[in-house]
This record gives sequence, C-alpha cells and structure tokens, in this order.
Amino acid sequence: MTYIFKIKDQVYKIDIEKEKDQTVIQIDGKDIPVEFQKIDDNLYSIILENKSLTIGVSRNGKNLQVFMDGDLYEVEAISERDQRKSPQELSGVQEIRSPMPSRIVKILKEVGDEVEVDEGVIVLEAMKMESELKSPIEGNVTDVLVNEGDSVEAETPLLIVSSK
Amino acid sequence: MFNKILIANRGEIAVRIIRACKELGATTVAVYSDADRRSLHVALADEAYHIGGSAPSESYLVIDKIIEVAKKSGTQAIHPGFGFLSENEEFAKRCEKEGIVFIGPSAEAIRLMGDKITARKIAQEEKVPLVPGSDGAVTDVEASVVADKIGYPVMIKASAGGGGKGMRLVRDKDKFESSLRMARSEARSSFGDDSVFVERFVEQSRHVEIQIIADTHGNTIHLFERECSIQRRHQKVVEEAPSSAISAKIRKKMGEVAVRIAKAVNYSGAGTVEFIMDQRGNFYFLEMNTRVQVEHPVTEMITGLDIVKWMIRIAAGEELPFKQKEIEMKGWALECRVYAEDPETNFMPSPGLLIYVKAPSGPGIRDDSSIYSGCEITSFYDPMLSKLVVWADNREDAIDKMASALREYVVLGVKTNIGFLIRLMNDEEFRQGKIDTGFIERHPELLTPGTVDLEPALIAAALAVDDIEETVDSDKQPQSNWKLLGRKAALSGGSLI
Repeated sequence: MTYIFKIKDQVYKIDIEKEKDQTVIQIDGKDIPVEFQKIDDNLYSIILENKSLTIGVSRNGKNLQVFMDGDLYEVEAISERDQRKSPQELSGVQEIRSPMPSRIVKILKEVGDEVEVDEGVIVLEAMKMESELKSPIEGNVTDVLVNEGDSVEAETPLLIVSSK
Repeated sequence: MFNKILIANRGEIAVRIIRACKELGATTVAVYSDADRRSLHVALADEAYHIGGSAPSESYLVIDKIIEVAKKSGTQAIHPGFGFLSENEEFAKRCEKEGIVFIGPSAEAIRLMGDKITARKIAQEEKVPLVPGSDGAVTDVEASVVADKIGYPVMIKASAGGGGKGMRLVRDKDKFESSLRMARSEARSSFGDDSVFVERFVEQSRHVEIQIIADTHGNTIHLFERECSIQRRHQKVVEEAPSSAISAKIRKKMGEVAVRIAKAVNYSGAGTVEFIMDQRGNFYFLEMNTRVQVEHPVTEMITGLDIVKWMIRIAAGEELPFKQKEIEMKGWALECRVYAEDPETNFMPSPGLLIYVKAPSGPGIRDDSSIYSGCEITSFYDPMLSKLVVWADNREDAIDKMASALREYVVLGVKTNIGFLIRLMNDEEFRQGKIDTGFIERHPELLTPGTVDLEPALIAAALAVDDIEETVDSDKQPQSNWKLLGRKAALSGGSLI
C-alpha cells in the first residue's frame, strides 16, 4: 500500500510492503526494515535497527495524531488524487476565528479600521484567561461578525480583515 | 477525627484529597457539575451529588448548593482544595454558621490575607520587606501617577487576585492604559472585583515561597521553601524544593518571616507565604495563599509529611506532634504541571477528548492526576492534566529522573506541553539553576520540537492506517452492531454518548 502523509507542511510518500516475517517500509524511496508490535489500540512498539521506540497513534477521520518524545504531530493523510491539485493560494481576505469556545470580552477594531500584522483585534475569555486574537495580515477590518459579551463556539468566524 | 468529609472541588486535587480522607478512615462525598459526571473524583468517592451546570458559577462556586449537600449527606467537614471556594471568606463563615468544619484557616485569616492590600499592611506592621508600590487600590489616574513615580517596568495586580489572573506587566508608559483596562476586566470576570494596585516590577526575579503549617494549639512551623520561578503567563509550570537560589541562612530567615506573618493572622492549617527574590538574594513579601497549594507535593517529597492529611487532622483539633527543629529536608523534588495547551501558540489551552493516556511510573515518581483514556478536558475548567512529581538525592538526578519520566508519558487527543517540559529539563541554563520568572520568554526555542527525525512518526502513522484498513478488509464474519458503532465512533474521534 502507498500512503501520502503531510506533517508540518512537508509531504512524504510511504510504501508498506509486508512479507512473511518482515515489513519493509519505504519513505520517499528509501527502504527501512521495521519490526513492530501493536501493544494496544493506540500504542506501537517499533524496532528500527535495534532501536526501540514507543509511539502513540490515533486516527480521527482521515487525519492522524502521532505522539513521539513528548510532542504531538498532526498527520494529514492525502489521497493521490488530492495531491495533484495545486495548493490554494492564500487570499487577501482573512477570517479570524475563535480557537475554542469562548466569550467575546472586547472588540478592539471597527469596520474600516486599519490593522497591522500581529495587531490585536479581539479579546476573548476562555478557561478564565483573557487572550488577544491578532490579525495575520496587514489590511482593513471589513466585517465584525460578533458583539461584545457574545459566547461563541470554537471555529466561529469573528472578524474579517482584507488586505489593501 | 471526622467520619465524613465533603470535597468541594474537582480534578486532580479532589482525587488527592479523597485519597487522604480514605486513608484517615473518613467517608468521602464528591460534588460534581454536568460536565464532570465521568470525572475520576466522582468515581473514587464513596458518595457523589450532582450540584448543577458545567460553568463553575452554576456549581462549584455556589455556596448554597454545597452546604445543602453537606447537610443532606451528614458531612462533618468540607475540604475546599484550591481555586473555587478555597479562599472565599463568605464560604468559611457559612460553614461555621451551619456547624460544619471548614478544613482551612478561619474566615478572618482568609479575609485579611485575601485582600492583597490588607496583606501588605500586615506585612508592613510585621517589618517584612515589601516591593515599592501603591498604598492600596488605586483609581486609573492614581495608578498612572504611582507608575510614573516608582518607574517602569511596573506590575498591575488585582487586589483580589491569584494564579496570575488580573495581572499585567507594563514596560512602557504608552501601554499602561490598555494593560490597566485588561487587568481590571480580567479581575472583574475572575473575582467580581476590579480593584487593582501597582508595584515596581523586579527584573529577573525568582519566585520562592514558604510552606506553613499551624495547628489550633499555638504551634506554627514552616516546611522550608519551594521555588516556582519557571512560569508562563504568570502561572507556575515547574516547581522544586528546595530552591537552588538560597543559602541555609536565607532559608532560616525566610522561614521565620513566614511564620511571623502566619502568626499575625492567627493562622491554622496549611498555607503558603510567597516571596519575590532579586538576583542579589533580597526577598520581598508577595502574598499569602490561605489554602493547599497546587505544588504542595514537592514539599511532601522532601519532608516526608502528608500536608493534606495534616490539614484534615488540624481541622479536627489535633496538635502537631513535631517541633520546628525536628523537621528535616532530604534530597530534591521537582514537579512539572502537564497542561492541555499548545506551547507553539503562546500556551493556548487545548481542550478535547483524551483518546489515550499512558502515565509514567517507577521509583521516586508520583503522578497526581485525574485523567484516563477517554476522559474529556472541557473548556469550563483549568486545563491542567497532571502534576508529575519526582524525588531524587540531588537536583541534577531529579532533573534526569523527570526528563526520563516525561518521555514515558503518552497523551493522544489534545496538544500538551510535555515536549516543551522535556526540552526544558535538558536545557543547560535550567540545569545550572540559572532561572527566573522570565525564563520561558527568553527561551522560545524550547517551545517547538525543532529539527526532529520524523521517520518513526511516519512509520507509526503508516502502520496504524494499514492496520485499520486490514482489519476492515478481513472482517468477513457477521459481527455485533455495538462493535461497529464503537469503531465508527472511535474513527470519528467521538464517543458513543
């Protein structure tokens, strides 16, 4: 089987070849003999040239999470068809969304205001902490979609910034 | 001793207290909100009572509901843990009025120390050194005048504050106004009180605190210091005992000062006197926390005393059987707070379902947590997952042990700070004890994994996908619909409920 994975914007092609006693994995053309055991539903013990590694994996729809040495990596599984599509260009319109369920404490910008990169636009409160959401681009605020005091779910569009 | 104790808290501290109560032979009563039905403290307690909605203001902060459960269940004493009602004077008073023992200091001691401005005055009377700042709460105009007078950088702090909430560091005058507004608004939403005061910011300061324990028979002793200088957003992340920054002489002086402050308010139970220390070893009184501290385990590890049990025994009227000179410290203890948060996005909380958890173990390793595979970290509460604590002969060995234990941790489902903590343990400056409260800000390279060989991660991912597809292919026999449903739920990352 061939899989295409994306980790941190880097794409890798992985082939798994299973023979009787051995599994050979090919990453971007390089052969790696692997001895592995699944310890439980989410934990793999992998031996690579006598180096023993314990790695956690969970699957969420088409994506995976891999936990290795204290860090969690989001792995996007791409089908070969998807890969042929050209990556979408970043448009000059940026939607600023709530990263988690939160309350809108203060809206710092109005429609028409100019903003700079990393300038605060909205103050949110979640888990009893206030934090400022910043604009990823330079431009003008073209829409404010919420009001102060509103409670919003994660991923709710809050404000739109358009580049000039 | 009490026969029945109610634990007015949740999460790992509720679990910690339930265990102490059980060891003392008391029946335990848990209270829980909508979001906490599946929480570990509910499962571990002998009795459990639902007290309302998920928001703390609908459950864990509602005094009437907790008192009602206490009466219904025949509880003799309430342990408030930390946060929530633990430093609420009104709650302590109410317990007293209802004839229930509040496991903690008197309502009066909570009141005196709870208001930071009053606490400063008490410290002043006791001739305890203080950081220069405003004489009490200030108006917006006064705040700005005081800031100009003591000189930037300054710290704005909520009078009713704690845990870094309602606190802002201001380096430049032109940021003062906006920081003041944020501090007030955060203070209002966290404590219902937006009064603030202004203090000089001590550069490269270290946070050192003294654990106090006092009975109701006039014995007040200290259990040495903890250093909590590794902080992010003014909240502690790594704590240790003892501190590598203080000599035996300063330790003795600091301990005596802390005991004096505790005695000034007739303190009983466990409490913590916090100090800020500059690079020359001068220390200033910061505040007193009138409750059990998150980082109490490191003190337990070096003294061999169970602080939570002593809180309960003291509340039951027992006398401390040891004197100050009999208390010894041995070895070195470290605590890392494992949080569901993403160090790469300024430690933004990362709530969600914990798909899988595997905690470390081994000699000298203690994991105070309430998490398990399948539990949910909601955005209603603090995102702390666990307190990983280690003990070893000396600081270097303790750091090595911590690094090794952290590497055994596996958490799937949410982002955690475990990788950051591993890198911190391996940082040369940290290992040399060159730490202060600005350490994390100065070391952004610790926040990300850096250059990592991703080959093993890719292999594991490929094996997992391959395994799932193979299982689906080979499932030819008829099978239970429950199994199918379970697998679907697992694949979509949800639960059956």
